[in-house]
Amino acid sequence: MKPDPVPLHGVTDGIELARRVLDTRVCEVRRLAGGLQQRDQQGLHDFRIACKRVRYALERFADLDSSLETVAKHFELLQDALGEAHDRDVLLSVLPVAMGQTEQRLAAEREASVDRAVVLWAQAQELLLDCPLIVLEAASNHS
Amino acid sequence: MEGARRRFISKPTEKRLHSVRTAGRRFRSLLEDVAELAPSAKLLGRVKRAAEQTDAARDATILLRLLENSVDPSERHLAEPLLAKLSAREKEATRLAHKRLRRARFTGSRGT
Repeated sequence: MKPDPVPLHGVTDGIELARRVLDTRVCEVRRLAGGLQQRDQQGLHDFRIACKRVRYALERFADLDSSLETVAKHFELLQDALGEAHDRDVLLSVLPVAMGQTEQRLAAEREASVDRAVVLWAQAQELLLDCPLIVLEAASNHS
Repeated sequence: MEGARRRFISKPTEKRLHSVRTAGRRFRSLLEDVAELAPSAKLLGRVKRAAEQTDAARDATILLRLLENSVDPSERHLAEPLLAKLSAREKEATRLAHKRLRRARFTGSRGT
């Protein structure tokens, strides 16, 4: 999945650069959040990649605003939950058919990871609203 | 990323492979975020290829650990062929990643 291009025309300082990058990445992750509600493998995968991009951007600009570091740590937890679901999806796709007990266990763990991701995503959205560097209009357009 | 690559080349462990991949993802994210200001298609291509060259090793490692930890005891014997296959794949893919990353470089302005 290709990342949304970041429009950087006219950027002259680091604050504006951070705003443009974060705005683009937050819009992207909100657009792909439907995958979390649908809980399908591809949708979750795309959402996870978008979360990763947001997290790295937040970490990169954390020196400009300390609140970004808190949100980045939250996105790391979200990314971990989505990663655990993804790993189970991949293993379930190659598991021998006769391993019914193991399959049930992995499927239950997968659902628990997605449930955890849903809660973490709701919390992440609240945290994003408290970051001065993130454009609220763009965020609210995709909520 | 170049430092992580060199450490993996000197000693190809699972942890060092993970470091190469993490550094690569962060570097790729940076290049993509500032692409309009500083286009670097060739460097981005090299970073993407490096990630692809390590995907198989990392995937096999993760699946192997997960299967070892989650297999139901009553089904252990059914999992053995898959465990053996994943273990062999992990070794071979790590060997290949090591071979391919020996030639990769992520420093200097060449190709950027």
